[in-house]
Amino acid sequence: MTCDEVRQHLLDYQQGRARLETQKAVRAHLDGCAGCTRADAVEQELTRLLEQRLPQHPASLALKRRLAARWSQAPTERSWWSRWRSSLVPALAAAAVVLVAAPVVYYERAASGAAREQSAMVAEAVNDHLRLLSSQHPLDVESGGLHQVKPWFGGRLDFAPVMTFEGDADFPLKGGSVAYFRDRKAAVFVYARRLHPISLLVFRADGLPWPSRNLTRIGGLDALATSERGFNVIVWRRGELGYTLVSDVDVGELRALAARMTSAP
Amino acid sequence: MSVLAEQALAYVDALHNLARYLTGNETDAEDLVQEAYARALRAEHQFTPGTNLKAWLFRILRNTFLSSYRRQRNDPTVGGLDTVVAQAEGPATSDWLLGDVELDRLRKVVADEIEAALMTLSEESRTVILLDLEGLTEVEVADVVGCAVGTVKSRLARARAALRHKLKDYAR
Repeated sequence: MTCDEVRQHLLDYQQGRARLETQKAVRAHLDGCAGCTRADAVEQELTRLLEQRLPQHPASLALKRRLAARWSQAPTERSWWSRWRSSLVPALAAAAVVLVAAPVVYYERAASGAAREQSAMVAEAVNDHLRLLSSQHPLDVESGGLHQVKPWFGGRLDFAPVMTFEGDADFPLKGGSVAYFRDRKAAVFVYARRLHPISLLVFRADGLPWPSRNLTRIGGLDALATSERGFNVIVWRRGELGYTLVSDVDVGELRALAARMTSAP
Repeated sequence: MSVLAEQALAYVDALHNLARYLTGNETDAEDLVQEAYARALRAEHQFTPGTNLKAWLFRILRNTFLSSYRRQRNDPTVGGLDTVVAQAEGPATSDWLLGDVELDRLRKVVADEIEAALMTLSEESRTVILLDLEGLTEVEVADVVGCAVGTVKSRLARARAALRHKLKDYAR
C-alpha cells in the first residue's frame, strides 16, 4: 500500500470502518513509515480536538418545552391514522355497515373532529400563554406604544400582524415577542389588566380548522369565548389572520378588551 | 405523544447543535429547529421504522435550512459564510501540516478557535464534519446531504484538511 492510499484510508482505519485486510495493510504501512505515522497522529489529534474542545450548543430548556408542547398537540391525528392503517382489514369487512350508516357517521365524525380541533386550538393558545408567563424574558420588545411594537415584527414574521388597538388606561400594551402557534409563527402582543398579563397571538389562519360553532358576538365579530385550565380564552378570525386572547382576568374584562380589538378598524 | 415523537425529541440537543453551526446564531438556530420539528411532525408517517431516526431528523433540518431558511435570510454574514466553496477553503492534501510542529500547534488550539475555524468553512463542510462527529455512518451522512457514499468520504477528508488549514492561523 502506498502513502497516498494509506492516507485515503486513515479516517476509516482510525474509526475501525475499514475492511479487515485494509486495516492490516494500513497498520503494516504505519509501522514502517514515519511520514504516514505523523499524518495518523495529526488526524487523531484533530478528531480529539473536535470531540473534546469543539463547543457544543444544546437546546435551551425553553425550546424543549415548546417542542414538547407542540408535539403533544398532535396525537389525535396520528393515532387516527395509525388506527386506520392497522385496522384496514376489519374496516373493509365493516364497509357495508359503514355505507348504510354513512350520513350519521359522517355528521358525528365531523362534529367530534371539529370539537377536537377547537379544543386543540384553545389548548395551544393557553400553552403559549403559559410559556410566556414562565419565560425569563417574555418580551422581546418593550412597549413605548403600538408604533414601536408593530415595526419590530418586520422581518421576523412572514405576514404583517394587523392590530390597531394601542392599549389604554384599562389595558396598557406592555410589549411583544414572536412565538409559534401550531406549525406557524405568531406575533404576540402582551397587554395587562392591573397585574394580570394578557397575551394576544396573531397568526396566519389558513389551513386551520376554524371554530364555527358556539360563537358569540364580541365587538364587531363572531368569536369563540371559552375557558381552559382556569384561563379565559377568546378566539376569532379576521380575514386571513387568526387571533387568540388569553388571560386569567375576569371573563367580562377579557370580553371588554376583545371588543375594543375587534371593533377597531 | 407517540413513541416516535418522544424519540425524536431526545435528539433535540444534537439537532440544535447542528442548527447553531449552520445559522451561526442562537435565535436563528431555535427557529430552524422548530421549523424542522414541525416538518418532521407533518411527515411522521413517512419515517421508515428500523432506520436511523436521528439521521432522518438531520436530513429534514438541513433541507429546511437549504430550502427555506437560507433563502429568506438577508443577513450578509450568513450568506458570506455559506458561499465559501470547499475548493477555496484550503488544499485538498495536507502534507504541509503533517509534521511535529503542526501537531504541536493543534494541541494548543482552544475551544473558541476551533469553533471560529469551523465557522469559516462552507455549509457542506461544516455539515459533514459535524455529522461524522455525531457518529453517523457514511451511508447515513450520504442520505442526509444527498450524495453518493464515496463522495462523503472525499468531502469529509477535504473538509478536515480545510479545517486543519484554517487552524494553522489560530494555533501559533
